Amino acid sequence: MAMQMNGEVQLPAQREEVWARLNDTETLKACIPGCETLDKLSDTEFAAVATVKIGPVKARWRAKVMLSDLDPPNGYRISGEGEGGVAGFAKGGATVALAEKDGGTLMSYNVDAHIGGKLAQLGQRLVNGAAKKMADEFFANFAKAVSPPPPA
Amino acid sequence: MPAVSMTVNGKPATADVEPRTLLVQFLRENLRLTGTHVGCDTSQCGACVVHVDGKAVKSCTMLAIQAEGANVTTIEGLANGSQLHPMQEAFREHHGLQCGFCTPGMIMTAVDMVNRKGNELDDHTIREELEGNICRCTGYHNIVKAIAAGARSMGTGGARKAAE
Amino acid sequence: MSATGIGAPVRRKEDYRFITGKGQYTDDLTRPGQTYITFVRSPHAHARIRRIDASAAKGMPGVVAVLTGADLAADKVGSLICGWAITSKDGSPMKMAPHPAIANTKANHVGDPVAVVVAETQAQAKDAAEKVVVDYEVLPAVVDPAKAQAKSAPQIHEVAPGNTIYEWHLGDQKAVEAAFKGAKHVTRLDIVNNRLVPNAMEPRAAIAEYDAGNDSLTLWNTTQNPHVARLVISAFVGIAPEHKLRVIAPDVGGGFGSKIFIYPEEVVCLWAARKVNRPVKWVSERTEAFVADAHGRDHVTHAEMAFDGEGKILALRAKTIANLGAYMSTFSSSVPTYLYATLLSGQYEIPQIYCEVDAVYTNTVPVDAYRGAGRPEATFVVERLVEVGAREMQIDPADLRRRNFVKKFPHQTPVIMAYDAGDYNASLKKAMELADVKGFAKRKRESARAGKLRGLGYSTYIEACGIAPSQAVGSLGAGVGLWESAEVRVNPTGSVEVLTGCHQHGQGHETTFAQVVSDRLGIPIENVSVVHGDTDKVQFGMGTYGSRSGAVGISAIVKALDKVEAKAKKVASHLLEAAEADIVFENGQFKVAGTDKVAAFGDVALNAYIAHKFSGQELEPGLKEGSFYDPTNFTFPAGCHICEVEVDTETGQVEVVAWTAVDDFGKVINPMIVEGQVHGGIAQGVGQALLENTTYDTDGQLVTGSYMDYTMPRADNLPSFRVETTETLAPSNPLGIKGCGEAGAIASPAAVINAITDALGTEEIAMPATPAAVWAALQKVNQSRKAAE
Repeated sequence: MAMQMNGEVQLPAQREEVWARLNDTETLKACIPGCETLDKLSDTEFAAVATVKIGPVKARWRAKVMLSDLDPPNGYRISGEGEGGVAGFAKGGATVALAEKDGGTLMSYNVDAHIGGKLAQLGQRLVNGAAKKMADEFFANFAKAVSPPPPA
Repeated sequence: MPAVSMTVNGKPATADVEPRTLLVQFLRENLRLTGTHVGCDTSQCGACVVHVDGKAVKSCTMLAIQAEGANVTTIEGLANGSQLHPMQEAFREHHGLQCGFCTPGMIMTAVDMVNRKGNELDDHTIREELEGNICRCTGYHNIVKAIAAGARSMGTGGARKAAE
Repeated sequence: MSATGIGAPVRRKEDYRFITGKGQYTDDLTRPGQTYITFVRSPHAHARIRRIDASAAKGMPGVVAVLTGADLAADKVGSLICGWAITSKDGSPMKMAPHPAIANTKANHVGDPVAVVVAETQAQAKDAAEKVVVDYEVLPAVVDPAKAQAKSAPQIHEVAPGNTIYEWHLGDQKAVEAAFKGAKHVTRLDIVNNRLVPNAMEPRAAIAEYDAGNDSLTLWNTTQNPHVARLVISAFVGIAPEHKLRVIAPDVGGGFGSKIFIYPEEVVCLWAARKVNRPVKWVSERTEAFVADAHGRDHVTHAEMAFDGEGKILALRAKTIANLGAYMSTFSSSVPTYLYATLLSGQYEIPQIYCEVDAVYTNTVPVDAYRGAGRPEATFVVERLVEVGAREMQIDPADLRRRNFVKKFPHQTPVIMAYDAGDYNASLKKAMELADVKGFAKRKRESARAGKLRGLGYSTYIEACGIAPSQAVGSLGAGVGLWESAEVRVNPTGSVEVLTGCHQHGQGHETTFAQVVSDRLGIPIENVSVVHGDTDKVQFGMGTYGSRSGAVGISAIVKALDKVEAKAKKVASHLLEAAEADIVFENGQFKVAGTDKVAAFGDVALNAYIAHKFSGQELEPGLKEGSFYDPTNFTFPAGCHICEVEVDTETGQVEVVAWTAVDDFGKVINPMIVEGQVHGGIAQGVGQALLENTTYDTDGQLVTGSYMDYTMPRADNLPSFRVETTETLAPSNPLGIKGCGEAGAIASPAAVINAITDALGTEEIAMPATPAAVWAALQKVNQSRKAAE
């Protein structure tokens, strides 16, 4: 089953800085909720392991993460597909656009996702909320990562 | 593996279990008390209802280690030796069961219902109270009749109170 | 009538073990050294399997084996089959695709098994299953039967172009067209018969054990027909020769059809047990059952009924697309054909009927018989057409039915069936009295005062049970005969074991069958035990489904009892030193006619075994007789159900406020049990009409796959039922039994929808009539009313 959502977040950083961090393995790893490992396979491909719980289904996901439609520093598409074993599968992506605004960067995103198997069977009523929460969490984490550290 | 101890049907029961072991698994697999059934995996059907410290509990929603020290009664512990509990008698008398799979949970729920709601139960109350128990065979008609009759019979002088 | 004989509401013999928790269901059994198996299932509705990497799973703690479809194919394990051959209009055979127990190259529905893990414990098997990595190439899927035949639809099986299994028809198309041309009124309906999940409360389970010493296998299995399971697994799947395979069906917690079929899981357990040389146990989880147990119904139908100026039905025609899912399950092909179109005459004299049925593959769980199997679908079509026709022609719906009832028997319908006995007006009349139809207008006004809409709906249904005369079903494509067997074993002490080929999973055979024996032999019911469900104990039998156990199974017992009585008379004649012709059997005693010489049944039984009074040349010792009873006709239970509903206009909530059922089941052995069967059937039908729906999204994901989303009827969804009977005996079997197991589920959906549409004043409501659907329908009615003003 499919779901879609979108959002935007104002970041207190220059567009080039945001773009660089969007392409940085360590930043992505720190921002993806439940991410245990994120290994760079090439400039645009990563292998990830993440543990995610949606409703009654908790699974450790092995996922391929790909970057495409690269348009530095305006944005890209980040997509992934994962198999959660008996939990089913999830695949989806986000189109991320960066625009200069108010001295910082406005990052907007359109997320689409598909899930299947036990996850769709048991968790479908919860999955929209969970996916939204995960996307929000990711972009909130990311906003935090690109913000200047608070004064000591 | 942690050890767990509880009293089941009046007898002490102790075993080492994996922490994720559910109470129903402990009863069925460790103690071989297979009268408590598993009919779903989302805590909806009520086939696994037992009494923990006198209250009805879906034993699939509770870890065995959460029942540490508890007093558990299963369907096997409801009768007094060869004398059936009045609720068991009522289910037989009123044809409140067909395939028998949901029956242990139904009877344990019914006894709990009487303990909480008293001996005069109207149809509406019984039907609402059965929200957590699914039967696919009977259409509930005779279960409702059986519970009303069993409730009355539990209240009459000759009949015993619930096993706990 | 004795207290335990035919017609007595005897309390059930089997209940003691169930109410004390001593039932023995398959999951309650444990075999020494048993391992556990977990199925890795496809999360995709349609996907090519590129590669399976089991290496990580194999390294997990406790893992005994990881097996795939490739291993199954390498061992040449045969395909699962559908045992009823249907021929298309053009003469071509149905297109049955291979159904391997584990998918090898392609998964065709969410839940299709792609690998299994065998491990020491259930938890270990599940943990390791997480580690099986399957590389899928995801393919487009089709789930809607109405779209499966489109050119753009993905092709599921090579053997079935356009996903079409068969294009079948029954009846005289030209005669029907002519009748429609002469019609004064035509009623037209588009009907979706919603897909249902049977949901017996005991999930399916299997334990397979291999005995290497004897090279034999034993299977404990949740099956309604152990002998048929053994036959199919041996003759078609080829796991073991029939005499080297024992199938035991212990206590089974409900079936409703879903446990008739031979499924991948039991086949895999048997195969794996031999491979690992250990017992292998599988117990389905409920979530798993939703994608692994055959579903029911799922028809899309356009139907029309032609009437003359007096409301007499001239003809009926229907076009149905039946969704059979991703594979053809064991009896799937027969359900939308010979169990459906043959019942389209209902209780009515309809001169001409024509029905076309296309059966299609989709990327969904296989669909097969579910309580009623074809007959609820037929009843829904007929009873909706009649009700809507009456409303359109402004004739009272009961009156329209009466005008069209079959009144003379035997009655040959245009769709194969020959009704042999019935009195449809009697059940309608009695039901109308019990339901106080006369007082309905007053009740409707009272409801209106409370702001509620009240409606009343009839369903005068018929079904064909007593399944089935073997020669007849053979001519229609059945791969088996549908007789039943019985053996009556009288022990030397006079107690009796009845071995039956039927199987009970809630029906109470241990009681009703014993009543028949007790009644006939005059022995206490406690002295009779019923043995069933074990191929090593019981002679071949066909099992329990299609409301057949009374009409066919008991008839076999009666035939065996005839032989027992005849043999016992011979023994008694020696014991009483009288001519055999002078021996009469009355009230459990053998008497010499016209004398006071008497021998009790027990004395005769003992003498049959000690054999002191006769020589072996004259008479064989022993008292044990068997019978294979093949019915000469179907039986035709019929009746009238009346449903009364109240609709809350604010919320769309429908409450069933009264239910009256008057059924003619022929001879009733145990009225208490029969009533219980009717209650359960009605509940399932009300579930179909109001609550239950199986929803796939367009990707083929099952989104109503647990009790959180699939609405099972609960106690507070249902009323108490008023259930009574009328009686016309079935002439085709010795006791006149017709069968009662499915009637409720067959009658009730139409009664509910007829009541709701009566309340709402619109015919446009589909099943299930959920509050949302009813509310939406009400808004439409209100809008069009406003527009009209």
